[in-house]
Amino acid sequence: MKARDELVQRLALRRRGQLEGLSEAGYQELVRDVRSRPEDFIDSPAEEAFLLVCQALERHDAACVGEELLDDDAFFVARRHRMERLGSDCEAALARDPDCLDAQLLRLLAQDDDPDPALPALAELDARAWKQLSAAQLPASGDAWDDVLLRPMLRIRAAVVRTCLDSARYRRAARLGEEAFAMSPGDAQGLRHTCALCYARLEDEAALEALDVRFSRQGDSWQHLSRAILLYKLGRLAAARRALGGYTRLCEGGAYALIKPIMIDTYLPDRPETTPLSFEEATLAVHEADPVIVDVPDFVPWAQGQRDVWFAAQSFAERRDLDW
Amino acid sequence: MPFDPQLEDYERMSLRFVRSLGDLDAAAAAREFASFGRRFAHDRDSLPQTDADRAFHLVVEATRLIDYQLPFTLDEEAETCISHAQRMLDEALSLDPQCHDALRMLEAGRSPSFESYYNFLQEGASEVKARCVEARDAACDTAAPERVFLERDIAMRPYLRWIATLASKALICGRNRETIRLVDELLALDPYDRADARLTAYLAYAKLEDEEGLDRFAKAHLDLNHPRLDAWELLARLALAHKRCDFGQARTLLGQIVELYPNALVTLARQRELPDGVYARLSTHPYSEDELIVAISEATVLLQEGRDSLWRGSLGSWVLRECLSMSTPEQTSELADVIASLPPHAASLLWGDDAS
Repeated sequence: MKARDELVQRLALRRRGQLEGLSEAGYQELVRDVRSRPEDFIDSPAEEAFLLVCQALERHDAACVGEELLDDDAFFVARRHRMERLGSDCEAALARDPDCLDAQLLRLLAQDDDPDPALPALAELDARAWKQLSAAQLPASGDAWDDVLLRPMLRIRAAVVRTCLDSARYRRAARLGEEAFAMSPGDAQGLRHTCALCYARLEDEAALEALDVRFSRQGDSWQHLSRAILLYKLGRLAAARRALGGYTRLCEGGAYALIKPIMIDTYLPDRPETTPLSFEEATLAVHEADPVIVDVPDFVPWAQGQRDVWFAAQSFAERRDLDW
Repeated sequence: MPFDPQLEDYERMSLRFVRSLGDLDAAAAAREFASFGRRFAHDRDSLPQTDADRAFHLVVEATRLIDYQLPFTLDEEAETCISHAQRMLDEALSLDPQCHDALRMLEAGRSPSFESYYNFLQEGASEVKARCVEARDAACDTAAPERVFLERDIAMRPYLRWIATLASKALICGRNRETIRLVDELLALDPYDRADARLTAYLAYAKLEDEEGLDRFAKAHLDLNHPRLDAWELLARLALAHKRCDFGQARTLLGQIVELYPNALVTLARQRELPDGVYARLSTHPYSEDELIVAISEATVLLQEGRDSLWRGSLGSWVLRECLSMSTPEQTSELADVIASLPPHAASLLWGDDAS
């Protein structure tokens, strides 16, 4: 989540609404002003709460720096502290504006519950947020994401969809994901990625295909990986091999990410931005696919057994000087 | 009850014995047969038998060792038990290279992965079917009409077991649609479902979160050998309710299992994972504690899904939490080892932040 950009956009747009006849150049000037001194433009408890959320996330991100150097015990202590701090920062934001959706979402995520016990509260928040979104006027583009004030609803939906997948509720995840496409056809939150993994798990080839078509076969790590898993589950091994080969060729370091998965921390609140088809994207895709992959116990050993996959992983590890 | 190897051994031997009596009249045949039970139990070698019968008997003995004795064997004795059973199966195959049960059981021990065993079964399926059909059709020509049914039936059983095993392995390998296809094939061949393969299909429908499919399937196979709501169907429906977040319904179904099975609360909390029977699903009594243990073990594919810090899966942890909240102090103390095996943070997850 680019919280500071959203904060600036919120404040600048609201300010523009108050000023008459502001030119585009004037608006850009306003944006620069807001960016340098956002506090001066805060005009309501809701904006104040959003500023606090923004600061809370920045504080949290700063606390993560250097954690990779800690040993396991120290890491989990540090992690618990920053999560607790994030939770209390969200409380402070909610004291200003109890309706601040991002603070509500982050507060729930910072509780760090397992997906199954976490889901009811997230689902309840999603139901409220979705009601608001359904009643809202969509921007001219027809995509709720283009209105910065509607983005929290889509973030909440994305978090719920991922939590459904993580708690083994694949059909529910896919249904909620598909429902969101009507409000955000551009799917900036990438709910389609979660849906793709769900369709692979549910062995629903037609739905995975329809999803791919809907997004013009853009191709990404989730889609390629989902197709390989799906075809493997359906026992069409030659096709699965081709799909896995596609994943390996098109997603940089995809083979390595699959064979050597790494721990990825909770998304706070949404999936980190990555370059399409990059190693970082493949790493996230493999992490998100984990519940689906472990349900097919011999998928990874089979993938490792494919010479091209093995060599691709090995040469990627050598190029990047990674463990092998 | 799934295939009972000892009963099948008895059936094979009695058929062979009756066939050996030739054209005796009914009274003389009855007199001869009077001694059969005793000789079967105590002097088996005095009975007429072929190498195939001897091979099957070795399968029965190996089954007794692997499926029923090994789970209760001390670790240090396990190797001996397994190698003894393997020698019996090897001998069975040397006596009867067409002993598909022995072949299937040996491979279960040899296969390094679920997938390789699944592939072995899948690749061998059409050959085994062809052989069994051949034996079944041969029985048509040679046997007396009253014995034909049983002979034909026995001839097909190795294939039914082969496909039932393949279906259960498909489920473990995450191939749920293939599981359902195999069970459908099996039920077409054996509408009485002696392999109890429909139980595997219940779990596969729940994995696919296909409630309508499960309803249709359960309705279509309602009047099989025991028209009852069993642990497999209840667990499948419990998983579906939990997936729908219908926790009220999930609790009702959990309550039904607790009502139907003795000591169910402890068994449900424990969620033991047993090795599958290599001959067939372990034979247990309906509504016994053992039946629930076997069902829960097979439902591991549903229980252990999802990310979960208690290492039990989403449903597994939910079931554990529910069971602990319902358990009496005696049941809780019976579960002390289960609770002790959980990670340190489990207490707050199971009993809330007040837990000490």
